[in-house]
Amino acid sequence: MATALAAVPGGRDLWRVAIIATGAAAILAPVALVVYQSFLSAPFFSARARFSLDGYAFVLADEDFWVAGLNSVILAASMVAIAVPVGAALAYLVVRTDLPARRALETLVLVPLFVSPMVLAFGYVVSLGPVGFLTTAYESVLGAAPWNIYSMLATALIVALTHVPHVYLYVAAALRLVPSDSEEAARVAGAGPGRTALTVTLPMVLPSIGVGAVLVFFLGFELFGLPYVLGDPEGRLVLSTYLYKLTTRLGTPSYQLMAVVVVAIMVVTLPLVTLQRLVTAQARRYATVRGKAVRARLVPLGRWRWLAFAAIMLWLVAVVIVPLAGITLRSVVSSWGLGVNLADVLTLRNYAAIDSMRGVGRSIVNTALIATFGAALSVAAYAAFTLATHRWPGWFSRVFDYLVLLPRAMPGIVAGLAIFWLFLFVAPLKPLLNTLASIWLAYTLVWMPFGLRLVSNAVGQIGEELEDAARVAGAGPGRVARDVVLPLARHGLLASWLLTFLLFAREYSTGIYLIGPGSEVMGAMLVSLWSAGNIDVVSALSVINTVMIALGIAIALRLGIALDE
Amino acid sequence: MLKKNTEETMIKSLAAGLVLALMALPAHAVGVPENYPPSYKAMLAAAEKEGKVVIYSNTEQFAVNPVLDAFQAAFPNIKLDYVEIKSSELYNRFVSEASAGALQGDVIWSSSMDLQFKLLDEGFAQAYASPEKAALPAWAVYKDLGYGTTFEPAAFIYNKRVLQEAAVPKSHAALAKYLSDNAASLQGKVGTYDPQKSGLGYFLYSQDLRNGTVLWDIAKGLGQTKARQYSATGNMLEKVASGEHLLAYNVVGSYALLKAKSDPSMGVVIPNDYAVVMTRIAFVPKDAKRPNAAKVFLDFVLSKAGQEVIANKASLFSIRQDVEGEATAAKLTRELGSAIKPVAINAELLDLLEPTKRLPFFKKWQGLIEGK
Amino acid sequence: MNDPSGRPEPPALAVDDLRVRLGSNEILRGVSYAVRPGRIAALLGRSGSGKTTLLRCVAGLETPTAGSIAIGETQVFDAGRGIDVPTERRNLGLVFQSYALWPHKTVFDNVAYGLRVRGAARADIEARVAEVLQGVGLGALGARFPHQLSGGQQQRVALARAFAYGPPVILLDEPLSNLDAKLREESRIWVRGLIKRLGLTAVFVTHDQVEAMAIADEVVLIEEGRIVQAGTPQQLYDEPATLFVAEFMGSNNVLHGRIAERRAGDACLDLGGLRLWGRDRSAAPAGATGTAVIRLDRVAVLERTGDNCLPGELESSVFLGERWESLFAVAGQPMRVFHQAPLAPGERFVHLPPEAVWIF
Repeated sequence: MATALAAVPGGRDLWRVAIIATGAAAILAPVALVVYQSFLSAPFFSARARFSLDGYAFVLADEDFWVAGLNSVILAASMVAIAVPVGAALAYLVVRTDLPARRALETLVLVPLFVSPMVLAFGYVVSLGPVGFLTTAYESVLGAAPWNIYSMLATALIVALTHVPHVYLYVAAALRLVPSDSEEAARVAGAGPGRTALTVTLPMVLPSIGVGAVLVFFLGFELFGLPYVLGDPEGRLVLSTYLYKLTTRLGTPSYQLMAVVVVAIMVVTLPLVTLQRLVTAQARRYATVRGKAVRARLVPLGRWRWLAFAAIMLWLVAVVIVPLAGITLRSVVSSWGLGVNLADVLTLRNYAAIDSMRGVGRSIVNTALIATFGAALSVAAYAAFTLATHRWPGWFSRVFDYLVLLPRAMPGIVAGLAIFWLFLFVAPLKPLLNTLASIWLAYTLVWMPFGLRLVSNAVGQIGEELEDAARVAGAGPGRVARDVVLPLARHGLLASWLLTFLLFAREYSTGIYLIGPGSEVMGAMLVSLWSAGNIDVVSALSVINTVMIALGIAIALRLGIALDE
Repeated sequence: MLKKNTEETMIKSLAAGLVLALMALPAHAVGVPENYPPSYKAMLAAAEKEGKVVIYSNTEQFAVNPVLDAFQAAFPNIKLDYVEIKSSELYNRFVSEASAGALQGDVIWSSSMDLQFKLLDEGFAQAYASPEKAALPAWAVYKDLGYGTTFEPAAFIYNKRVLQEAAVPKSHAALAKYLSDNAASLQGKVGTYDPQKSGLGYFLYSQDLRNGTVLWDIAKGLGQTKARQYSATGNMLEKVASGEHLLAYNVVGSYALLKAKSDPSMGVVIPNDYAVVMTRIAFVPKDAKRPNAAKVFLDFVLSKAGQEVIANKASLFSIRQDVEGEATAAKLTRELGSAIKPVAINAELLDLLEPTKRLPFFKKWQGLIEGK
Repeated sequence: MNDPSGRPEPPALAVDDLRVRLGSNEILRGVSYAVRPGRIAALLGRSGSGKTTLLRCVAGLETPTAGSIAIGETQVFDAGRGIDVPTERRNLGLVFQSYALWPHKTVFDNVAYGLRVRGAARADIEARVAEVLQGVGLGALGARFPHQLSGGQQQRVALARAFAYGPPVILLDEPLSNLDAKLREESRIWVRGLIKRLGLTAVFVTHDQVEAMAIADEVVLIEEGRIVQAGTPQQLYDEPATLFVAEFMGSNNVLHGRIAERRAGDACLDLGGLRLWGRDRSAAPAGATGTAVIRLDRVAVLERTGDNCLPGELESSVFLGERWESLFAVAGQPMRVFHQAPLAPGERFVHLPPEAVWIF
């Protein structure tokens, strides 16, 4: 037997530090660049750039900024106020009760995730806009339509309802691990299913609800596509569209002003991470599991069964069927609106036009590549970060919680712009500029909080003794990760891959600055086509994009991968 | 003696034949017009050696594709890569790449006249005297650095299904009156550019102001009809075509005409009191990786062949007077004469980028649009 | 004990002045103990006593703040010299309370893991695992998964996994607590038999004194981070050093009074006028309060008074199948007594043999 080795406590953890440092560098570099830019008077690469607080002065004195900020807060708050309860309720209904068609619903409730927000916004205009299909149908029978798709209320509702799946994902995963006895005790004491849910079950998954709420609030500030399309007509700005406006308002693009807006968003959203950590820490006493998913008995809904089912269907119709129907219809007509007889204008010409477009084939291939292999690589990166901070007490782990959310505090456009600059000005990265590598990095950073969370949840559920047993048997940290942690977290890894696939496939704003000949992606193509006015081709391409995503999900389901198991 | 003569004749005929044959051979490819200098061959050979040309442009695909296809057909050995980027992002992309020494684009071609001029003024372009220079109007060529390639008027667009052609106003003054007279029935049904969000929008409004003050009357009318403002041309085209809006002001006529080709509900009116005409400026950057191919492309776009495609297939309006068709400078000038107000490529364009000029305009505009 | 060359053999496990502090909590306050090769030691104590922490420190899963740990001749931890060998290199076996069997691996793979990590040849692994599984009586179950086994079978797999790669010491954390009562009794004999048959050195943690006495060669009673008494099971049971040990190790009757007199190793307790003699274990002076402790099964009930008898009033009787248990009030304090036949009414005396009474 070997004699005693003088062990160096820090040396054992060197690999952790290396991984976290790499991740931190990748996250902080674009963020630091943006913050730096906010304190300059001109683009950072211009010879005229000087330290200046003028950017802050301008933005903070601009009434539009405050109005946009307020609108963002209202949207984010309504997302939390609506999406969190609805998402939690949905998760409870699907996971814990005897809702009809539960298996099918498990997949269906995630469908809104498949559809790009731009496509959704568009679809709503086509279906429910002032001259939309449904509006004209309604008006021909019942008179003036009572809704205005461009109103703040409509935007808030749409934005909130379409983000229900984001909350659902995390709450459902947690609910699957809660054993039945707590609920049964409540029922024996006389509580009905609703009361049990509210007072017993859901409080037990409070951390997941908290996580969902924080993530959704972040998304609220980052929203671009929906407020862009739906807010433009009434001139209503949110922070991301206000930021976009700054690209033309003063003549030449004012990056320092854009950077100031990003800093403002970070200042507002990052303290939320502290809140979220508080909620999670508080609720550690609710920890119930040691790594085993329990076969819970279903709570019978009694007379509420079909009502709940109908409510869910209604939500699906409002959030998926209506806009998708709109966009599909738009893709097969040559013109629409007032005075158009739909039967006269049906055509497949828009799909044919895609064929003649430059770069479309490439964009489809690139999107598929990034969404499958790229996403897998991203999940590997997320797994590496998870393992590096796993069971490593210390300040670095805590800091990492904040780091992970940082890139999401930037609207996609700015994140893409910052990555663009990084690749442009950092010598070793330059050759990768117009390749998928830059796009991959931007996507991985920007969606990290979501993908990482699914992996870390799965890893966190593994009982400590299982890892300790391997260590006692002689396995070093790498082997423990390989033999015990990763295999047992398999479901979480696959779920993360699937979610990342979805998010990458429909991503549109982050790539705007990064696409070049050879590295086009569908989402960014959609944006530029739309602003040029080819709504017909946009619709056709959107349909293709959505079908591609649905196919991907179908394949994944076939292979047994689920998002929330 | 006869033998010598025959030999001489034979040699002479052979020589003549050879010369004729050589002259008849195309200069390596089909596309080069005859009046080009002989030195062009060398440049063309260099361009083909470069093998590729990358265009950064904000001209949207469906408009520009015919031009690109025509170029590719004329010069099969020069592969074309077209990167479509919106105008402000185009400016940013170009300046960032140039500053980092990583410029990918060989031709920068944008409808944003003010931003393009700024780049010309700051010395980003290389001087090149195109052989097609003579066929262009003087105001469309700036010091051999940048060239105007199109002749696009600002137009009114309307929904043909709902509005009769005869009723649609044909001049700015008529439009102001129309909006004000019909304010009640036009509520929420009119669109225009938001000058704060659209550089192009601001550009067109400031050109309006150089032709009188009727813009403010129109703005008042827009306020009375609670008009909607947009950042993107496409949005306006779609809303007018669908009937959500009945009318839109100051839309780029070329895109409107292109849409009208496929959608019969799109009506286009080029105002007859004055019509602001803008041109898409193209230049070859100093640091272009493939300058020869870039110049060949530029010359093609300016050539009669290229301009014919621009006019008749792309609906981008040719700038050369010797091209005939529906979307041509020639036709416009014939029909509207001195009402045509092309915007010259000169230093006055820089004024448009001054925040000190922009912000007061925005204030006044916003006030009128909101009906204050 | 000497090794073949005649040198005294080092202890299989030696812990010296081990201290563990967590925040302001001192969990271990200086524990020193050595286990000789081939012996089974039980770390006995209440929850919170520090016994599990001690075990985990030995395994390397927790880090002490002071002290040292040696396994055989190897120093695996020494706070003063900065030595802290990582868990994976200490070459110990550990049976977890929850067994911690890897659910995604078969029984075979679970047991083989330690051998695989050590790079053993495939054929050797197969042979060894088969032998080990046979040894614990699970020879045919190699291909099953943990969730397909009963609790008892899982325990045996956990044990097999712990010693498959031949570690010098195996550690067991409450090895029987997850089994039902009946199985626990059978397992006690079986576990001790297996460990002895394989010639292993074992240290196990338990809160159950019966379990400790049944399985271990030596029992270490730990309370509040310190060793209270260490010795053979008989020593702890029959010769408790303190009141705490006496109360912990068995079921007792306890009487409180004043120390009246001392005489040659015996002490007399005054219970409100009544006098009780017992073995003197107290350091307090005469007149101070004292406690008399006697095992429940040593008390007899008599119809007549006698030596070291106290009058008692019968309060209740219950029939437990194997015997009767009655509750008496003696000098105002409760006493439980066992007897075979039901008690007829009448005067009763409770007899406490003085050699079975400890006065603390």
